[in-house]
Amino acid sequence: MSQAPMPDFSSSVKLKYVKLGYQYLVNHFLSLLLIPVMAIIAVELLRMGPQEILNVWNSLHFDLVQVLCSSFFVIFISTVYFMSKPRTVYLVDYSCYKPPVMCRVPFSTFMEHSRLILKDSPKSVEFQMRILERSGLGEETCLPPAIHYIPPTPTMDEARSEAQMVIFTAMDDLFKKTGLMPKDVDILIVNCSLFSPTPSLSAMVINKYKLRSNIKSFNLSGMGCSAGLISVDLARDLLQVHPNSNAVIVSTEIITPNYYKGNERAMLLPNCLFRMGSAAILMSNRRSDRWRAKYKLCHLVRTHRGADDKSYYCVYEQEDKEGKIGINLSKDLMAIAGEALKANITTMGPLVLPASEQLLFLFSLIGRKIFNLKWKPYIPDFKLAFEHFCIHAGGRAVIDELQKNLQLSGEHVEASRMTLHRFGNTSSSSLWYELCYIESKGRMRRGDRVWQIAFGSGFKCNSAVWKCNRTIKTPKDGPWSDCIDRYPVFIPEVVKL
Amino acid sequence: MGISRQNRVEVKSMLTAISSKPSRSGQVHTFSALDNAVTPHTVHVIFYYPRSPFKSFDLDSVRIPLSELLSMYPPVIGRVNKTQEGILEVKCNDAGLRVLKAKVSVGIDEWLRSADGHEESDLTAWEDMPEDPSTWSPFRMQINEFEGGGVAIGLSCPHMHADATTLTVLLKSWTEAQRRQCITQPPSFFPMPYNLTDTDAVNSDRDSFSKPIAGPVSTKTATATFRFSGSAFTRCINEHSIHEISPKATPFDVFAALFWTRVALVKDKSDRVCLCVDFRRLLSNPLPYGFFGNALNFSSLEMANVVEVAIGHVARLLNEHVSSLNVEKIRSGLKRARSQEKMYGKDLTIVNMEHMIVEGEPLMYQAVFEEGVKPMHVSYRIGNDGGEGVIMVIPSPEKGFGRTVSVTLPEEEMSKLLSDQEILRLEPEVILKGVK
Repeated sequence: MSQAPMPDFSSSVKLKYVKLGYQYLVNHFLSLLLIPVMAIIAVELLRMGPQEILNVWNSLHFDLVQVLCSSFFVIFISTVYFMSKPRTVYLVDYSCYKPPVMCRVPFSTFMEHSRLILKDSPKSVEFQMRILERSGLGEETCLPPAIHYIPPTPTMDEARSEAQMVIFTAMDDLFKKTGLMPKDVDILIVNCSLFSPTPSLSAMVINKYKLRSNIKSFNLSGMGCSAGLISVDLARDLLQVHPNSNAVIVSTEIITPNYYKGNERAMLLPNCLFRMGSAAILMSNRRSDRWRAKYKLCHLVRTHRGADDKSYYCVYEQEDKEGKIGINLSKDLMAIAGEALKANITTMGPLVLPASEQLLFLFSLIGRKIFNLKWKPYIPDFKLAFEHFCIHAGGRAVIDELQKNLQLSGEHVEASRMTLHRFGNTSSSSLWYELCYIESKGRMRRGDRVWQIAFGSGFKCNSAVWKCNRTIKTPKDGPWSDCIDRYPVFIPEVVKL
Repeated sequence: MGISRQNRVEVKSMLTAISSKPSRSGQVHTFSALDNAVTPHTVHVIFYYPRSPFKSFDLDSVRIPLSELLSMYPPVIGRVNKTQEGILEVKCNDAGLRVLKAKVSVGIDEWLRSADGHEESDLTAWEDMPEDPSTWSPFRMQINEFEGGGVAIGLSCPHMHADATTLTVLLKSWTEAQRRQCITQPPSFFPMPYNLTDTDAVNSDRDSFSKPIAGPVSTKTATATFRFSGSAFTRCINEHSIHEISPKATPFDVFAALFWTRVALVKDKSDRVCLCVDFRRLLSNPLPYGFFGNALNFSSLEMANVVEVAIGHVARLLNEHVSSLNVEKIRSGLKRARSQEKMYGKDLTIVNMEHMIVEGEPLMYQAVFEEGVKPMHVSYRIGNDGGEGVIMVIPSPEKGFGRTVSVTLPEEEMSKLLSDQEILRLEPEVILKGVK
């Protein structure tokens, strides 16, 4: 989809070396400039000799007032600088929920239930089967207990019970991992898009763990699959205002009340893809957490395309002809996702891309706009900016589309594909399962940069950039611990059902 | 007849229990000739516990061991498939075990006192294989919660898939997994020894899909369960001087003989019975208890004028018949089975379950979920039987010579049997006979 704006060379090897040389030159420009400058100064000093240096020093005529004023000035400037610097926000640790084995949904069980419940709509059953075959999901994804019933029993009690199971298990694990005491939690953010009872899920957490009465709690609902990064953004902003604090974020999606009971095809899709999962994350701005934190938050960019009607209506919850509520996914979802991504990386690019890529992009832009040359738009190589990518496992099509757009290799999108296979689309928590996959594979080194991209209804595209703070040892327990050795698996295009 | 009673068992919901690990794809379980021979029947086991180990069942701690156990039994969670040649087989596709949850409106003691055979059948699922079995779970478990605590776990399946021993071992293994113990009888899917399998191809031209053959089933049957203590055995031996005629008579021989003669009196005929014996341990290379499938030998026994013969002689006949069972007899029994339509109930059938006593302990009463809470009763029922009657001699909860005898007969014959003095003299505890 993109070509280098340079004239074609005869062999790609030469091109590769030229590119490498160019990148090194531009990215380390200032350091490279420093070398001749230092050389000149050294030569000059050596030439002058010690006596002359002392003469120069004495001629400067320092007196007390000048010294005091200058040092005061220096201290003042540095204080202003340090005070106005945004607080660094760290991700101390996080934990992902691993559903119990009895919630597993093999393909055969899913199709059998589908046939038994939709016995009057064989075409819808066929459609579901085709979706499942091509979905990229594996045989170990899980649905909550209420959905294992024939017919499913999505009562409010069951929904609350699922919420308690997934949230409390993840939080217990987080408290154990980080040694955090419940009474020390300063900020609590819970995001769950489709289930919003009264009292809220955040109130449920506060009640269970007896959190402090002056806690700042937030419950974000209705914000779709990208709500996880919205919560991170909210936590970051709050941690700028409150010094020496920590924030616990719980990202989840409660499946029980939202299982579509009708037979409208476009609305059956979420039944096939959405699965049970949750993640609990601890973020902090305390200096004492600097040493044990896993990641540092570098950037967070949110893009909302809701102003465009097509984007707004593309993921729409509505009633079908029989009055059953479901989520309608429009056919141009992929195209809209692509547009949203472009908007996001336009903002993200300048923040993260090395100077070499930005320069190339600038040249390409100048060439196309000002000189009207017929060049294709230059897609910056994001692989230079990041070592790891976590693309929301919304579905196989989303991952394929992004892999194509960003020109990523199979290994870059491996975390996303394998998460989709093992856990299904767990909505806002999928990014954390993917991050956990990368850590479980032992690939996360200190200094590595991770790019998390999430899409959600609205239509939103949010991305977060993290920098790994310390090399992470393969976790002994966690959602991937018992199966990581089997991954990566080959996922066929179509699974024969 | 009695007053028509309101249904005391109400099925509330149905779900599917899944195995914990995906099975190897393409695995298929084929049926043996014996499996096909017992096709018309269904087998049901009901375990009664005074205290329920379940809470909501959805997230109970017993669910995880159940899932792990189901991974060890791929045919239990598979689905029946008809191949292109018309042969039935089980495609092990992990679809899962169907579980039904029901509530009983009375307490467990009241139930055992007042329920009859028909009501007890509400405690398990009785369904014949439909035309299209691809979404039909052959194995079904029903969890019946009684008022005030107490639970009855009913396991059922078409007899073609497994016999009563397999179902008992399945549930017992679940309890062992739940208590984190070693599974003493792990499942074994190796086919029967070659010298027992018929070389002829097995096909379903016997129309195994069709509904059960109408006929004798139209007479209403009744069931009653007689629990005899060890002292009843001793009394019986002494009163009928059995040991003089048959010194090696086992409790099975004695109680089977007793009931054969008394039922023969009630029936006015019945010189011939069909004896059903499990042959897992009778082979020279014994099959493990965990052998999955059917390992039953059906053979005919005749005694002229059995009504008048002393029980001792009948006991001796039974004893000799059972102890003389060898591979040859088992083989010929299998050959004969292919040509019969119904194995149970064509003649009065006596089922021997002595093999379930391992080292003096009855297998089914070792299925304990919580320490100290043994099953208070275990019932076995055979569906679609021929109508002449089935007598099952089942081990008692206590070690020793006591036995529990479960009798299914046409209604009029049963009511006569319930007032039989010879039986009542031994002071059995009669349960599950209904209330007049």
